[in-house]
Amino acid sequence: MPPELSVVLAVVTAPFAVAGVTPLLIRSLGEKTGYAGAAVAAFCFALLGTQYGSEGTVELAWIPSLEVALRFYVDGWALLFALLASGIGALVFLYSPAYMHGESGLARYYAALLAFMGSIIGIALAADLIAIFLFWELTSLCSFVLIGFHTEDASSQYAARMAMLVTVGGGLFVLVGFLLLAFVAGDVVGPGTSAFDLAAMLDRPGEMQTALREAGLFVPVLGLLAVGAATKSAQVPLHFWLPNAMAAPTPVSAFLHSATMVKVGVYFVGRIRPLFASLEWVVLFATLGLATMTICALLAVAATDIKELLAYSTASHLGLMIAGFGFTSILGAETGVFHLFNHALFKASLFLIAGIIAHETGTRRLDELGGLRHDLPVTAFFTAIVALSMGGIPPFSGFYSKELLFEATVEASHHHDLGPLDWLYPAVAVFGSIFTVLYSLRFLALFFGRQPDSLDRAHRPPVILLVSPAVLAALTAVVSIDPELAVRAIVQAGVDATAVDPGTHEMHVGLPTSYSPAVGMSAVAIGSGVLAYPFYDSIHRSIRSIPRTIPPIGANWWYDAIIESLADDGAWLASRVHNGLLRTYATWTLTATCVLALAGFAATGTAVPTALAGIDVPIPVALVLSLAIVAGLAVVTADSHVAGILTLSILGFMIAIFYILASAPDLALTQLVVETLVLVIFLLVVEEIPEYYQVSLGRVARDAVLSVLVGATAFITVLLTTDARPAGESAIARYYTEHAVPEGGGQNIVNVILVDFRSFDTLGELVVIAVAAISILTLIVMRSRGDESSVATEDGSANEPRERHETRGESE
Amino acid sequence: MTTVIMRTTARIVVPIVLIVAISLLIEGHNLPGGGFIAGVLTSTAFVIVYIAFGLDFLERGVLGRDVDPGKTPSRDRVVVAYRRLFTVGLAIAVGSGLVPLALAHPFLSQSYVVLEGVPLYHHLEIASALAFDLGVYCVVVGGLLTIISVVGAE
Repeated sequence: MPPELSVVLAVVTAPFAVAGVTPLLIRSLGEKTGYAGAAVAAFCFALLGTQYGSEGTVELAWIPSLEVALRFYVDGWALLFALLASGIGALVFLYSPAYMHGESGLARYYAALLAFMGSIIGIALAADLIAIFLFWELTSLCSFVLIGFHTEDASSQYAARMAMLVTVGGGLFVLVGFLLLAFVAGDVVGPGTSAFDLAAMLDRPGEMQTALREAGLFVPVLGLLAVGAATKSAQVPLHFWLPNAMAAPTPVSAFLHSATMVKVGVYFVGRIRPLFASLEWVVLFATLGLATMTICALLAVAATDIKELLAYSTASHLGLMIAGFGFTSILGAETGVFHLFNHALFKASLFLIAGIIAHETGTRRLDELGGLRHDLPVTAFFTAIVALSMGGIPPFSGFYSKELLFEATVEASHHHDLGPLDWLYPAVAVFGSIFTVLYSLRFLALFFGRQPDSLDRAHRPPVILLVSPAVLAALTAVVSIDPELAVRAIVQAGVDATAVDPGTHEMHVGLPTSYSPAVGMSAVAIGSGVLAYPFYDSIHRSIRSIPRTIPPIGANWWYDAIIESLADDGAWLASRVHNGLLRTYATWTLTATCVLALAGFAATGTAVPTALAGIDVPIPVALVLSLAIVAGLAVVTADSHVAGILTLSILGFMIAIFYILASAPDLALTQLVVETLVLVIFLLVVEEIPEYYQVSLGRVARDAVLSVLVGATAFITVLLTTDARPAGESAIARYYTEHAVPEGGGQNIVNVILVDFRSFDTLGELVVIAVAAISILTLIVMRSRGDESSVATEDGSANEPRERHETRGESE
Repeated sequence: MTTVIMRTTARIVVPIVLIVAISLLIEGHNLPGGGFIAGVLTSTAFVIVYIAFGLDFLERGVLGRDVDPGKTPSRDRVVVAYRRLFTVGLAIAVGSGLVPLALAHPFLSQSYVVLEGVPLYHHLEIASALAFDLGVYCVVVGGLLTIISVVGAE
């Protein structure tokens, strides 16, 4: 069944449209806007539901001349991801009004959240590389706004900037990867199909891979796309932005960490998996994923804050999915798809529960919380389901997908010759899982044991806060009891879309009934985790002490160091180039222009014509031009600014006369009037310039060199451009002369070209004039104000990054 | 520069310059001229007024308004008018481009009609490009005068 274009378009555009009118909604609905958002998300969910089971491409021409179309591709995998984003989006919107009660800036919050959801759905459904890239960067932009929601809070700003830099930076890698991919795909998909059509590429995975290898671009494209996916999905060593991103309000974290932003990378890896499946793919993604899974699980154990714990755990689980997709067997696809589904359910629920805990107790520190089951019994019940699912304890949902990963690691060596990685992969997977069990139990322990004395009685959360986590926990419970139901409903379709050889395998999951290596691995991981749990505190302390003794081991340290050195270098460069002196600006601008122009001539190997044959200068022209030269010399020797300017205008008028002699009346007229106007403006400005003063010999030498350089560049450029003129009338000149009167209706060909044939260019120039006028107005109006505020921010931002890093997590 | 000679000259020259500018605008399609050059020439006429009579002359002498001595030039009502002028100019230029879209031609297509037997002219050609040129003229006059009056007041 092919998908409906109108439905798909409605799903993608509805969130953006409502985001646009959010300020109006806020005015009429106030804090209840969240429910409107929930309605939009539910609407998208329902529309996507009508497309259930459909598969195919629909498209809407966008830039036909560049073959860019808004092309959507619907299949099981896209639907799974879009349904998760809109479904969990609806629950997050439902949760928001109660949680964000009394906050200011709700219009920004809801608008960004809606646009965010729209972009995620866009990525899921887009089949065009350009559209995917645009939605990809849109998610980064929206997450920047959402993470930095508390604009007055330094740690929030720090986290938002970090997320933006890392994910947008990764997006640029993706862009380059896409362009290279399209470059190769052009030949493979053949004429008539856009080279940017990902769906067409996915139809021919084998040919694409061969073509990429022949062009020598297989590894570069794979690497570029992997960097993009790794930044988005927080893979080691680019995972550090994710824990910082918890500076966002909790509903945002729930959305960001469970179903949306961070899953985009995983989703995309699953999407392009059939194109790139190979040994390189396995080594790259399985290693990346398993390393992330283990390192982030360790860091989650080291966390002191419940949201930090969950954030590192998210990164760890993303590693699990990436590793799953990294294995090219069908088990790999099953791991990735099924775990993405399970993780979205339990992690969104856990974040919302963390929000309830923070909301009702006023703290998020692990060591200040405990024994909450007395005050929050209902929450405790839901937490038990989802936390055990996160830990992969049978028979909860996380167990099934983790079991699939273990099987995939064991089977990896059957498909490729991996050398020592053959046994290393299963070992690392088990090792990482031990810590997963540990931190899941630790989170659950918030509700058990003794309540610390420092903790006041927690309030009962309002029912509306409990609805969303309850729904998610109930779904997790359903998947736990009958995983085959989820598989039949949606997961199988996702697996078919991401599998390397689709349709060959029917997926089955369930509790193991006999011994297999994977069962043994699960038993070792869970057993060790439970046995090690009594020593949680000492493990926690020892992991924490490592980055404290060797700071460069932490990725965050590198981020701070790089950003700081960039900021310092930037300030140094600015002080050299942008020092407030006109002559410095002139020096840099002119030198750069000349050097670039000359380098351009040199690079293209343009030969300077030496023989100036056929130059015939009438005597009047020669006279006028020699007068201009004399005026030029007189400018240099003028003893005051006014004399200099007046002499300069002699030169200008001589050129105007030259135009008249060369029968270009339009140019002459313009030159005359502009010359007059410029003369007046110069005279107005000249009063502000200091009188002549003594300058050092070095500066005179510099100016002399610069003048010669500018003169030489201008001379060479004129020589080259006039020499390159084709003999006789070019086709375009003939076209204009022939068509000016019949088509433009004017005899002044210059004017006809300006307003008729090339009026779009003229319109651009008009905009330039308007922008110039506005800029000058703004600069002059804001001049006095700007100084004070810029001084103030310089003081405030001198040593902020370090402090922000220290304070992260304690905010909100 | 506000000498008697300058003022007297300005009184005679400015109207001539303005008329030449307008003729350049209208005749631009067939004879040397056009919106840009007409706009620059009009700005020159205003500059002459500024030089001969001072910056506040337009508001005090022509419009008959009182001028607040402590005002900032960028908030000047005349400057506001200049700013409006280039906004209007851009609107005209873009609008003249949108009309052909409504008639199912590409953006900014131009056309013209020739009217025969018009009194006085006998043969009159009206080009749609004139509307676009008027936009160019307004943007140039508004933009240049904004810059000149704000910078000149410094």
